[in-house]
This record gives sequence, C-alpha cells and structure tokens, in this order.
Amino acid sequence: MQISLDINGSLRDVYLDPRTTLLDALRSHLGLTGTKKGCDHGQCGACTVLLDGRRVNACLTLACMAQGAKVTTIEGLGSSDALSPLQAQFLNHDGFQCGFCTPGQICSATAMLEELAAGWPSHASTDLEGPFPLSHAEIAERMSGNLCRCAAYSNIVDAIQNAAKDGDAK
Amino acid sequence: MTDTGEDMRSYARPQTLDEAIGLLAQGQHRILAGGTDLYPSAGMQLDGDVLDLTAIPALSGVTHGAGLRIGACTTWTAIAEADLPPALRCLQQAARQVGGRQVQNAGTIGGNLCNASPAADGVPPLLALDAVVELSGPGGTRQVPLTHFLTGPRQTLRATDEVLTAVILPDAALYGQSSFEKLGARAYLVISIAMVAARIQVTNGQITKAAIAVGACSGVAQRLPAAEAALTGAPVAEAAARVRAADVATALSPIDDVRASASYRIVAATELVRRAVTGALA
Ligand SMILES: Cc1cc2nc3c(=O)[nH]c(=O)nc-3n(C[C@H](O)[C@H](O)[C@H](O)COP(=O)(O)OP(=O)(O)OC[C@H]3O[C@@H](n4cnc5c(N)ncnc54)[C@H](O)[C@@H]3O)c2cc1C
Ligand code: FES
Ligand code: FES
Repeated sequence: MQISLDINGSLRDVYLDPRTTLLDALRSHLGLTGTKKGCDHGQCGACTVLLDGRRVNACLTLACMAQGAKVTTIEGLGSSDALSPLQAQFLNHDGFQCGFCTPGQICSATAMLEELAAGWPSHASTDLEGPFPLSHAEIAERMSGNLCRCAAYSNIVDAIQNAAKDGDAK
Repeated sequence: MTDTGEDMRSYARPQTLDEAIGLLAQGQHRILAGGTDLYPSAGMQLDGDVLDLTAIPALSGVTHGAGLRIGACTTWTAIAEADLPPALRCLQQAARQVGGRQVQNAGTIGGNLCNASPAADGVPPLLALDAVVELSGPGGTRQVPLTHFLTGPRQTLRATDEVLTAVILPDAALYGQSSFEKLGARAYLVISIAMVAARIQVTNGQITKAAIAVGACSGVAQRLPAAEAALTGAPVAEAAARVRAADVATALSPIDDVRASASYRIVAATELVRRAVTGALA
C-alpha cells in the first residue's frame, strides 16, 4: 500500500506491504539506517525512535501505524556538525563500545529527559511527586528498555547525567 | 482506509468503533493494538486481514462515571500518568513495570487481557479491583467479570467478531489502598515468576476488606479467598502475620518450569502477598 510518513520533518511517500514494520520501512525503504535492528522483538531497544516525541520500538510498530505521527530518528536529532546535547555527551564520555545500541540509547534518552522535565515518576522514584534527582538507579530504571551488549552502561549513565546538567544550565 | 493490493493483506485503521465492528462482521480480522504481544516483525502473525484499533479515540483514556472506565486501548504510560484514587495504585505500579518505557508507550491494557498470558501483569491488579470487561460486536455490547473472561492460558471468552472496548471498575472497588509486587529472575524485561496485587480497606485500625490476587502461579491469575478471609477483621499491626502459605497455596496450582519450581512459587507468592499487604497499608 502507499503511505506517507512524516520523518524528521519531511514527508516521505513509500509503497510497502502493510505488514512492514516501521523499522524495516526506515532501514530498507527509506535509507535511514541509523535506527538499528538488534532483536526485532521489542527486547533490546536498538530500534528506538520517537513518535510524536514518545519513545517506541520501531520493530513493534507497523509503518502504517505511524501515519499521521511525527517520526524522529537518530538522523533527525542532530548531525556531525550540529550534535544534539546527548550526542555530544555520548562522545565526551565514551558512552559506547561497538556503537550498535547507541542510536537507540540516544533516542530513548532524549525522550527520557523530556519525561523527566514533564515530571513523570518512574518505578524507581521514591517520591511520586518529584523532583527526581537523576541518580544511577533512576537512569537504570528509566533506560531499562535499552540494552547494551558491550555493557558500556557506566559511561552511558555519565553521558545522560551530564546532558541533563547541560539542559538544566540552559 | 482499507487496502487490498494483489499479494497484500488488508490493513484497516478505522476512526470509530462502529466502523471496526462493521469490519469484524464482514469477516475475520486480526486485531492489533500496541503490537507488543503480537510481534509485527514475526510476519505470519499478521497474515490475513488486520484491524488496527489505535486510531479510535473512544477506546483510549480513563473516565469517571458509574465506577471507573478504562478504554481498552489505553496505554500503560497513560495509566501510570493518570490521576487515579489510591485503590488503583497497584494497577499504576504494574503499569510502570510492564517492560521498559518503549513497551509502556505502545502496549495497552486491552492487549494485555486479550493476550491472556498467565504472567500478564495487568490481571492481578484488575482482579483485586473486581474488574468487569466490556465486549462489543455485531450482536451488541456485553459485560463480563474478568474472572469469567479469562478461561485459561491464552484463552478468553471473546468471540472472534468482538472488540474488547473497556475495563470497568465498579464504584465499590474504588475504596482502600493497594499495592503490587512482582518477582522475576532479573529486575527488567523478564516474564514474572509470581506477582501479587493487594487492595485493603481499613476502618479504625482494623481491616474491613481485603482483595488479593496472584498471577503466574496458575493457568489464570486467581483471587485468594482464604487469605482474604484470614485478613478480614485483623488489626493492621497483625496483618503480615496473618498471611499463611497454606491459605495462599489452596487457591493456586503452580507449575514447574524453567523459571521456577512449583514449591518455590508458593514460597515466593506468600512472601509477595505479605509485602503487597504491608505496602497497601503503608
Ligand atoms: C520487551 C517486552 C516486555 C514485556 N514485558 C511485559 C511485562 O513485564 N508484563 C506484561 O504483562 N507484559 C509484558 N509484555 C507483553 C505486552 O507488552 C503486554 O501484554 C501489552 O499490554 C500488550 O498490549 P498490546 O496493545 O501491545 O497488544 P497487541 O500485541 O496489540 O495485542 C495482543 C493480543 O490481544 C488482541 N487484542 C488487543 N487489543 C484488543 C482489543 N481491544 N479487543 C480484542 N482483541 C484485542 C490482539 O489481537 C492480540 O491477540 C512485554 C512485551 C515486550 C515486547
Ligand atoms: S530491534 Fe526493536 S527492540 Fe530490539
Ligand atoms: S555499545 Fe555495543 S551494544 Fe552498546
């Protein structure tokens, strides 16, 4: 079927089988290979993209379900000349080893910092009313949908904590 | 918007429930909500005609009226963020523990119930809240208590031409405080070994009502009538001591599997009941 998707601010028309996942549509039909396929089963988070700002697993979403929503992928968050704050901090803190999980980590963390700003508690929050200091436990809980097989977790946490500080400073 | 290209299946994403039911009346469809149990990537699951419910506004959100109505397509995130009475805390705690945030943003309460996994985290809280499910099909709308709706592992009373439209919590179940406890082999992204929801009402330091449900320790999650009776009338301070393994075990029929042995599940469930009761009273 013919569908039209709003990806990183531009409308893209694509013809695909309705069973095509958003992940396959991005990677195989639209040439946006920044979004990675780890498990294809919702378990690793490598395929995390933003749908109207909310993080979802692109492997569990059909491309047709994303019609009418704004899709943001890692390519839409920043570029090598204009890094997003999280991208910059992942570089500063070596928040990766092989880098395979990194686009998903950064998309996920981008939405996570928005959730935090909106005052949404997590299962790890001791006080549901906030504020939520970005402790290691809070980040681990809020990022639990993103696995890193290289276990670069400690550097990922440092990168997110520092990006959050950059955000607060603004 | 329906598409029926040559080799392709039809995919429909109606905006109203009437349209959805009309399509179901015309022939069998695979219903799709958040897709987190269906695994769209597994391809074959979605062979045939697909009916996507996620664009129907009337199926999402929580509304107060006679009792409390939770639309079937309400996501776990929306449940976690909603402003709800303390009796529903167990459901909100469960919502924050269904997979990671990506899964909570897509997965729905209706999908959790229709998928009917013995380890579905939504079920014990809803049993403790005396939930009733609403089903709509070409023949009209009916309400069924959740205890009857779930007939076995991955089996429900839903007819193939029916949509689960809402979960309804009766007024009488909106009292008290509640808590949810879940045990898995790891903290994240695991299938539960056991999980417990407890809702407790207290008057003058005495428990007047206890509703306790355990999941993953039987084909379908169960309420614990014996444990509830043992708690009723107890002074709050004695609550934890009144939770006995024998009362927990009688309602359950745990299995031995790769995740845990049956005897371990009973020990674990009893401890989780104690923690959930204590949590509800906190
Ligand atoms: C990584 C990961 C972790 C998970 N962790 C947990 C967990 O911790 N606890 C837990 O309980 N679950 C977990 N799940 C399972 C799943 O996320 C939940 O069960 C979720 O609530 C399913 O909802 P959905 O909307 O995605 O269902 P879908 O996948 O869209 O549908 C599930 C089934 O229900 C049917 N269906 C859906 N909605 C309706 C309706 N309104 N009327 C009729 N039929 C309908 C579909 O046809 C399908 O058979 C996890 C899944 C993943 C991928
Ligand atoms: S590829 Fe989607 S979660 Fe692993
Ligand atoms: S950096 Fe290799 S998987 Fe995370």
